Amino acid sequence: MGKATVIPFGPQHPVLPEPLHLDLVVQDEKVIEAIPQIGFVHRGLEKLVETRDYNQFLYVCERICGICAAGHSIGYAETVERLMGVEIPKRAEYLRVIWHELSRVHSHLLWLGLAADAFGFESMFMHAWRLRERVLDLFEKTTGGRVILSVVKVGGVHRDIDANQMSEIIHVLDGIMADYRKIVDTLLTDYSVKNRTVGVGTLSHEEAFALSMVGPFARASNVNNDVRCLGNGAYGDLSDFQPIMDAQGDCYARVKVRCLEVLQSIEIIKELAAKIPAGEISVNVKGAPAEGAEVCNVLEQPRGECYYYARGNGTKNLERMRIRTPTSQNIAGMVAALKGCDLADVNMVVLTIDPCISCTER
Amino acid sequence: MAFQTEFTVIPLSELKACAQARKAEGSRYVQTLAVNTEAGVDIVYSFMLGDRMSNYKLVAVKESDVVPSITDEFLAAFIWENEIHDLFGITFEGISIDFGGKFYNVAVDKPMTVISPAQLAAREKAAKLAAAKAAKEKAGAPAASVDAELEAKLAGMDPEKAAKVRAAMEAKAKKEAARAAEQKGGE
Repeated sequence: MGKATVIPFGPQHPVLPEPLHLDLVVQDEKVIEAIPQIGFVHRGLEKLVETRDYNQFLYVCERICGICAAGHSIGYAETVERLMGVEIPKRAEYLRVIWHELSRVHSHLLWLGLAADAFGFESMFMHAWRLRERVLDLFEKTTGGRVILSVVKVGGVHRDIDANQMSEIIHVLDGIMADYRKIVDTLLTDYSVKNRTVGVGTLSHEEAFALSMVGPFARASNVNNDVRCLGNGAYGDLSDFQPIMDAQGDCYARVKVRCLEVLQSIEIIKELAAKIPAGEISVNVKGAPAEGAEVCNVLEQPRGECYYYARGNGTKNLERMRIRTPTSQNIAGMVAALKGCDLADVNMVVLTIDPCISCTER
Repeated sequence: MAFQTEFTVIPLSELKACAQARKAEGSRYVQTLAVNTEAGVDIVYSFMLGDRMSNYKLVAVKESDVVPSITDEFLAAFIWENEIHDLFGITFEGISIDFGGKFYNVAVDKPMTVISPAQLAAREKAAKLAAAKAAKEKAGAPAASVDAELEAKLAGMDPEKAAKVRAAMEAKAKKEAARAAEQKGGE
């Protein structure tokens, strides 16, 4: 056995779009330990809740991350609504889930492009991002924004999607689905992709559960922590929701779960578009959360379960707002997945976890 | 399935046993958070079993207290224990991956315990409203309690704005009195 060497990985690295540092303890090209370090761009957004009222903070929350913007605004609004005992109209619940699932499609397509680029599969990167652009166009047509949608408010949503726009969404998604199946079939059957991912960074069901992993990372190890199963909001009206799972627990399983989740999200949107009830899209919310009142809430973001906590103080400013993002919960799992892998596979393991440092550094 | 949540206060001495019990029953660890209060720092641990989210709360933990780490049971907690140490100044004992106060490079020591002027004003306003509400319940006289509540609200406002509101109310009262006198004269 050779001498152990520490190799720094990041915070600036071609495979990382955002700053994450790993101290890789390597022996004979094998990683024997990985020590993570985050906090390079921590913004302290949770502290801002003291100077913004609960309506203003929604816009701060939405800006935690550009990819998960829709999810954060929905998660925050739902938490404040729980805190104040507000029930929103059914149509608003459906609209929120439609935008949220569109956001999952665009997030997974963005990840697929980045992962394909890391494989050296550059044409796949371009195809994935070309499809993602069509989802962003749908955002622009229905909300006016492509990244930050600003369409959710405490008490419902600001904008409706009319029947014509809904038909257009379905039409565009059908087009995306046809193109997407072609590229995903290519990706999942390609021998060079399999060579890079099968049996790499494997975590068993027991390990994944013990490490409290969430999202597609956990589901690829057959751990179902998908909080959409709880049936919050319009998810409760889906006829049959079964999370995409895989038992292999390696990089290939994680790629496969995310790829299939895009198709599942499109099916969810189509079902909700067919079922969406007519009616109001928001209710007026007045008053302030009671002093000492506290609630927690969970939402399935593209990268996994996101936990929200709010405590009131009797004024319009919340006493505390806390967001536990999925990537931060998956760091322990990432460290375990890196243990024992080849140095050359570190980028594959990190990418298939799809870390979002922007969310983590809220 | 329907999402259910509960908050339970536990003493610091029972934290370790609580984490061990949650692990034994098959709960998964969700998160740890801290809330700065006047009495100290509240620390909330969340675990999920099926559709039930159980939140266990340590109330008013002091900076001098030593909180046992639960990373032996749930490794994923190391992120939050390091974060709470750096942002709230709470000491955890036995963290599996301990950054020793270097997890976040913060410009201010224990930034989440700094009470901002906005937060202080919010707390004072909430205290005044609570006092007014209590006075209203105690007095039981509607007119007097309304005045007390109004005074409390005005006390929490910008002084210039409060003066304008008072002037407008006085003018309105005079106008109403004049109208009542006119009606009386006409009869």
